[in-house]
Amino acid sequence: MDHQTTNVLLIEDNPGDADLVRLRLVEGAFPVSVNCVNRLSDGLASLTRETPSVVLLDLNLPDSHGAETFRRVMDHAPNVPVVVLSGQDDEVLAMKALHQGVQDYLVKGDISSKHLERAIRYAVERQGLARALEIAQKQQIDFKNQFLSHVSHELRTPLTCIHQYVSLLLDGLAGPLAPEQTDHLKTVFKSVNQLHAMIRDLLEATRAESGKMKIEPRCIALGELVQQAVAMLRPTAEEKKIGLEIGLDQRLPLVHADPDRVLEVLINLIDNAIKFTPAEGSVMVQASMVEADPGFVYISVNDTGRGIGPEAKALIFERLYQDPDSVDNNRSGLGLGLFICREIVRLHEGRIWVSSELAQGSTFTFTLPTYSLAKLLAPVITSEGRLRPAFVLMKVELTPLSIPPRGNWKETWQQCSEILRHCVYLDKDLVLPPMGTSGSTETFFVLASTDMQSSGIMATRIREQLERVDGLKTKCRVSITTTPVEFRQENPPETLERQIQSVAGCVTTMILASRERKQLHVVKGD
Amino acid sequence: MPRPKILVVDDDPDLVRALRLRLRANNYDVTTASDGYTAIAQAQKERPALIILDLGLPVGDGFVVLDRLQTSDTLSGVPVIVLSARDPQTNEERALKAGAAAFFQKPADNEELMNVIRASLGTEAPAVPAHTAAWPS
Repeated sequence: MDHQTTNVLLIEDNPGDADLVRLRLVEGAFPVSVNCVNRLSDGLASLTRETPSVVLLDLNLPDSHGAETFRRVMDHAPNVPVVVLSGQDDEVLAMKALHQGVQDYLVKGDISSKHLERAIRYAVERQGLARALEIAQKQQIDFKNQFLSHVSHELRTPLTCIHQYVSLLLDGLAGPLAPEQTDHLKTVFKSVNQLHAMIRDLLEATRAESGKMKIEPRCIALGELVQQAVAMLRPTAEEKKIGLEIGLDQRLPLVHADPDRVLEVLINLIDNAIKFTPAEGSVMVQASMVEADPGFVYISVNDTGRGIGPEAKALIFERLYQDPDSVDNNRSGLGLGLFICREIVRLHEGRIWVSSELAQGSTFTFTLPTYSLAKLLAPVITSEGRLRPAFVLMKVELTPLSIPPRGNWKETWQQCSEILRHCVYLDKDLVLPPMGTSGSTETFFVLASTDMQSSGIMATRIREQLERVDGLKTKCRVSITTTPVEFRQENPPETLERQIQSVAGCVTTMILASRERKQLHVVKGD
Repeated sequence: MPRPKILVVDDDPDLVRALRLRLRANNYDVTTASDGYTAIAQAQKERPALIILDLGLPVGDGFVVLDRLQTSDTLSGVPVIVLSARDPQTNEERALKAGAAAFFQKPADNEELMNVIRASLGTEAPAVPAHTAAWPS
């Protein structure tokens, strides 16, 4: 940089100070070109056009003051070094600027040519180093992620082979086995499963760390998920003679969450609880509301295991943490399960924690945001501060004609949901966020501010529009049912807020009831 | 009744052998290919009722094969089940968009795989035991 011209952007509103700095710069030994502006907005505009070697910045400008001045410059051009020019009396502020990433500060009136030259040189060098470090760190993370992704892929190939041949043997497809042989093979198979789970967790944790873990929240009934998770783990619990029970609050609201991810958390917590509870113990999965925190549902997994010490409690959700006292430490996995759980819950903006005493069992609790129908419905079911006269709930079901559905099913139903939105009046009807699937049927609910008579026209319009979708008829069957929303009105008339709550409550009950019926039907069908 | 024919495309001969055994036990005929080019040729020659396709293949990877199948008049209706070790987060959507009927990540649960094959072909479940437990999800 000795021979290159240093381009300085000087942002200074006092003409005297600006001239002085300019003079000191020109006096210096290295070639320099100065662009001087007297307002922050002009400085930012200049930074948009070109990248100077350094910014010399006065903090008190006509259009910006104090800390905000350097924050805005640094937001605008994060890679350009900034040197603050401060007055005698604002050194505290200058120090604060240094802590926040400004490279240096000079006190006005105390600036020599040498001073200035050295400050600029060092600022440029330091910024360059910081930038190089940042790039190196990013490259390292990228490399690690690529490496893990590659390793996990490569590990899967031989694992698949082991899995295939062991299951061939176990399924008797390569001839009959003696009972002892079957036993040994089952142990192999269990270990293959563990290895598989570890590879999956490794990739998942990497994703969580690099911010690539994604969730697709929907409106879901938590009870179904809890039952599903418990059903999946019941055989494991029975093998260990551990009671596995469910306690669900009868008035559990719907939650806004990604069902696959929540199931993952539930399975992880219940599996852990079973693992750390001695035979004849019990595990209880509960979901309830807490009065003080109405925006969330609390889900807890409680066991009668040996509990967790205070040290472990603090670290248990950290990556790679393993309980040093664990009896079957060699089989407890990579220590990523709870870390992944925490990341999933965090993505939902919920919390997860554990309460436990040694020898007293543990309770893991996490929260998920409730799905507030009232908040969503308020703008469409009211008009000019009053509740509209009548509402219907329309249920649109798309049932694929084949299992698995032909083509890209997700794309198909997303397209349908888009069409639904076009078929309703935005100011008085609402397509509710997608409900979880039941089997492979995709269900949408529409709340329309209309009476039963007029809702027929709407249903016809929706059906017509849906049937126009290319190839939809060959992929699925569309069924539309409409039910009036009969909400209770109190006498004397209640507040508008209460009325909205009452409609929302009624709609929620209707949705839950229709889902439960379907669930029963599925069970009977099996 | 002739047994439905399934084309298994994978470059790991050991895995192909195991799948062949399992599929035969489930009353399917099996034909195989170990690269993308042979897969297309074999599909045209053998007219399989269903294709099980790996993604990482030599001489034209799984996506190339999917593309060729989709643009072929005679083969575009054949259901393709992708069975790959690759990350579903980056490949499942793409494979389904390219015309695959289902995506399984290796190692896949055999029972689930057989169910999807049966459902795609509309065939009855044969009486083959499956002691192997499902994968933890």
